[in-house]
Amino acid sequence: MTMAVPWQTGNIVGPKNALLLNPEHCARLLKAAKRPLIVVGANATSPSVGLPDLGEYVLRLAKSMKAQVVASPTVQSQFDSTGGMQVFSMGLEDLTNRLKDKRWKGFDGRGPYDYALLIGGVYYFESQMLATLKHFAPHVRTVSLDRFYQPNASFSFPNMDMAKWRDGLNMITQELGGKR
Amino acid sequence: MAGIPARISIKELETSLASVRGLEVVLGRVVHDDWDEKMGPTPYPSVTTLRSWDHRLLGRYEPFYSPFCDMCCLCTYGKCDLTAGKKGACGIDIRTQQGKIVLLACLMGAAAHATHSRHILDYLIKKRGRDHPIDLGEEVILEAPIIRTVTGIRPKTLGDLEEVVDYVTSQIAQLLSATATGQESNYLDYESKALHAGMLDNVALEISDIAQISGLNFPKGDPNAALINIGMGVVDKSKPVILCVGHNVAPGAETIDYLDKEGLYGQVEVAGICCTAHDLARYRSGAKIIGPLSKQLTFVKSGVADVMIVDQECVRADIVQEAEKVGTRVITTIDQICAGLPDMTSLPPESVVERLASGKELGVLVRDPAKVAKIAVKTAISIAPARRRLTVSKDQEVLAAAAKCTLCHECRRACPNDLEIDTGVNDLRNGSMQKLALLYDFCMNCGRCVSACARQIPILDLLELANRERIKSERFKVRAGRGPILDTEIRNVGRPIVMGEIPGVVAFVGCSNYPNGGKELVEMADEFARRRFIVVASGCSAMDIARYNDENGQSLYEKYPGDFDAGCIANVGSCVANAHIIGAAVKIANIFAKRPLRANFEEIADYILNRVGAVAIAWGAQHQKAASIGTGVNRLGIPVILGPHGAKYRRAYLGRSDMDERWNAYDVRTGRSVYVGPAPEHLVYVAETKEEAMIMTARLVMRPSDTSKGRLIKLSNYIDLHRKLFGKIPDDFHLFVRTETDLPLGMKDELLAVMKEKEWKPKDIPELGSTIVDRLVPKKV
Repeated sequence: MTMAVPWQTGNIVGPKNALLLNPEHCARLLKAAKRPLIVVGANATSPSVGLPDLGEYVLRLAKSMKAQVVASPTVQSQFDSTGGMQVFSMGLEDLTNRLKDKRWKGFDGRGPYDYALLIGGVYYFESQMLATLKHFAPHVRTVSLDRFYQPNASFSFPNMDMAKWRDGLNMITQELGGKR
Repeated sequence: MAGIPARISIKELETSLASVRGLEVVLGRVVHDDWDEKMGPTPYPSVTTLRSWDHRLLGRYEPFYSPFCDMCCLCTYGKCDLTAGKKGACGIDIRTQQGKIVLLACLMGAAAHATHSRHILDYLIKKRGRDHPIDLGEEVILEAPIIRTVTGIRPKTLGDLEEVVDYVTSQIAQLLSATATGQESNYLDYESKALHAGMLDNVALEISDIAQISGLNFPKGDPNAALINIGMGVVDKSKPVILCVGHNVAPGAETIDYLDKEGLYGQVEVAGICCTAHDLARYRSGAKIIGPLSKQLTFVKSGVADVMIVDQECVRADIVQEAEKVGTRVITTIDQICAGLPDMTSLPPESVVERLASGKELGVLVRDPAKVAKIAVKTAISIAPARRRLTVSKDQEVLAAAAKCTLCHECRRACPNDLEIDTGVNDLRNGSMQKLALLYDFCMNCGRCVSACARQIPILDLLELANRERIKSERFKVRAGRGPILDTEIRNVGRPIVMGEIPGVVAFVGCSNYPNGGKELVEMADEFARRRFIVVASGCSAMDIARYNDENGQSLYEKYPGDFDAGCIANVGSCVANAHIIGAAVKIANIFAKRPLRANFEEIADYILNRVGAVAIAWGAQHQKAASIGTGVNRLGIPVILGPHGAKYRRAYLGRSDMDERWNAYDVRTGRSVYVGPAPEHLVYVAETKEEAMIMTARLVMRPSDTSKGRLIKLSNYIDLHRKLFGKIPDDFHLFVRTETDLPLGMKDELLAVMKEKEWKPKDIPELGSTIVDRLVPKKV
C-alpha cells in the first residue's frame, strides 16, 4: 500500500487513513455500490478545486452507477439546467447528520445509502464531515473523488494535478459504462 | 445588594445549656436585599441545577461530533486510538471524549473571560472604590440582565460584582475537575457542563463590560457613538506610536490618561489591535484601531509601533519575537502573558525606561497599569526619532527571495484557506505581483506559509510589498462600541420581534478566521440590514464590517444608523460587550413580556427559544472564547451559525426537520402537546459558504410563536433570499408553513401548487405560544 499525505499537511487524523485509490480500483469499488449517493460540495465550481464541466460529469457518473445526487445549496441550482435527473439540495453538515443515521431513508425514502462519493467540497470542512462518517457511520463507505487526499474518507485519490485528475475521473465513468 | 463580610465573636458565654469560650462566626456576606422581585428557582446555579433544561435542549438538538483527531492523548495510558467505536484504556469512547474536549474548550474561554473580569474589576475598584455605582445611563434600568437571571442578585456597585466573579471562578474549577480521567463519563453530561461553562462565560462578559462602562465612562448605549478611524493606514508614523494588543483596556486607558496629564495627548499615537482597540476607542474617540486579530502579525512586522503594550487574550505566541526583530519595545502587563520577560514591576519607571530605550532590554513585564503607561510613553518618545532614521528598505532583498521558489506547493498546503500562495509567489519570478496582490483580501496573516517554506521565502513580506499602497491608504470608519441596548429600545422592538414582524436579530460576532476574507461579512450585514433585520456586531466582526467602503465611500456604519432597531447596524463593542447582545434577548423576555428574570434562567431561556428570533453568525470563529460565548448563547435558546472552520470546534447541535417527534412542545394555554417544528431548526450549524449561512439565518430566525403575519414576513425573506442567491424557491419552504395564512401573498398560488405536490397539511399554531418546560404548563389540562 502506497503512503499518502493529506493535502493540507497538518491534517494528520490518526491511525486509520483512507485507502488510496487509482481510477481502475475506484471503478471496481463503485461497481459494488448498491445504493450510492454523490455529494457535491460548494467548491465544485471553484477553478482550483473543480472542473469547468463538473456538473455534467457528476450527472454522467450518477447515471452510470444509478446514484442519487445531492449538492450544496450554493451549487445545486447550477445542476438544474443540465437536466435529466433530480439533484437534491442540502447543506453538507445537515446531510452528514442524516447519513450517519442508519434509520434515515434517504431522499427517496428507500433506505440508507451504502456509499457516499464526495466531490468539490471545501477541503477542511469536508475532512471534518468525513471524520463524522468514519466514526459514527459504519454502514456508509465514503469515497473522496477530489484531487486532494482526504485521510478521513474510507477511500481517496492521492494528491494529483488537474490533468491527471480529469483523466482519472473520465476513466472511472468509462469503466462503469458511461459515455465520455 | 451584598455587603461586607460579618464577624461575630464571643469571648465567653455561660448559659444553662452550655458554656462557650472563644467562639467566632464569620459570615461571607450579608445580603441587604431591597429588590422587590421574588427570588426565582435557581439562584447561583450549581453544575447540575440546570441539567434537566440542558437535556431537553440536547434531546431536540443532538450533539453532532466531527472529531479533529482520532486519538486521546490526555493521560499516560495513551495515546489511545478511539477510531470508530474503539475505547481508550480508561474506557472512554470517541463521543464522550469529544464532549470532554468541547467542555475543555469552553472552560478555556470561560476562564479567559473570568480572569479578564477579575483583572478589570480589581483595577477599577482600586481606581474608583468598591462603592462606585454601576451606571449604564438613565435609559438602562435593567443594567445586568445576565447576572440577574443567573445569580438572582442585582448589582449596584463595583463591589457587588466581586461575589459574582467568585461564583464564576469556583464553578469553572468544579467543571474543570469533571474533565480529569475517571470523572464524567457521559457525552450528554459533558455537553450539559459545556453549556454551564458557556453560561458562566456570559456572566463574566457582563461583569467586565458593565464594570468598565461604569468605571471608565464608556458610551452608555449611545446609538450615535463616535465614528472611529480604523485601518492599517490610520496611524501617523511621524509621531511616536504606542500599540496596544489584546483585550484588557486598563494599561491603554492609563496611557491615554498619562498623555493627558503630561499635555502630550495628540503628540503620541495610541492605537490598538483586537478588542483592546475597541475599548480604547470607547474610552477616547481619538484612539485609533488598526484592525482585528488577523492584522496583528503584519502590523507588528511593519515596525511602525515604537512600543507595544500587550495585555491578555488573542495575542500571538510569537509576537514578542516578531516585535524584537523590528526593534519595537514590548511591555507585557498581565499574569496570563509573561512571555519570558523579566518582571520589572517593582523597579522605578525611569529605570525601566532607561533599560528599554538603551536596548539593554527589548521587553519587560510590568504588572501595574499606571507604571506601564509612564514607561510606554517615555520609551516611545525616547526611541521614536532614532527608529525613524533607521528605516531601511529591504524590498530588493525580499523580492530577490522569491526567486528561490521551486513551486513545491508547501505554502499553499500549509494555508488554512488553501490560498494559491504558491503560484502567487512563483509569478514574482516573472515580475508579476498581480496574483499575490489579489490574495490580500483573503489572507488571515497567520504566517503558516512562512513557516512551511523550506527556502525561507518571507511570504508575508512579499504580500505586504504587493499591496503596499493599498495598506498605506487603508482608512475606514467604525462606530465606537455603544455598549448596552437601551430599555427604551427594547420596549420599541420587543413586540415586533416576538410577533415576527421584525424578521429577526442577526448578531455578527467572533474572530476573523474567515474562509474567504472579511468582505463576506460586510455583504451579509448589508443584506440583512437592507431587509430590515436588526443587525448587531461585536469584537473582530464589528471591525471587519467597517473594512470595506461602498460606492459612496462609506462604511456600513456610516450607511446605517447605530440603533437597536430594524434596518440598523449597532456595534456594541469588544468581545465582552457581547453581554449586551445576549442581554437584549433576556431584556425582551423581561421588559416586553414581563417574565420574572430573577434567578429564573430556565423560564427565560425557554421564552427566548420559543419566541425571540435571534441568530448569531460567528463567521470567523477561531478562539476557545468564541466556543464558550456561543455555547452560553445556546443555553439561552439562541442558534449560532459558524463558518466552515467552525467544524474544527468538533461539535454542532443539530435538529432533524424530518423527525416530527422531536418538535413537540406544550401549548401554554391548553397544556396540549403540539408540533412546533422545525423552529428554530438547529442550535449550532456550520455553513460551508456565505450563501448557505445567509439562507440558514433566514430559517433559524423562525420561532413557534410567530404570528401568521410574522411568519409570512420571515418566509418572504427566506424565499426571496433563496431566489436571489440560488435563482429558485427553496425545496423545503413548506416545512415552515403552518397555515395558508403564513404564505406571502404575492407568491401564494405558486407556493400552494408546490405544497400540494408535497402533500402539505396544515398544523396548529399555539395561540399563546409554546414551552418545552413541564413546570410552565398549566396544571389542569
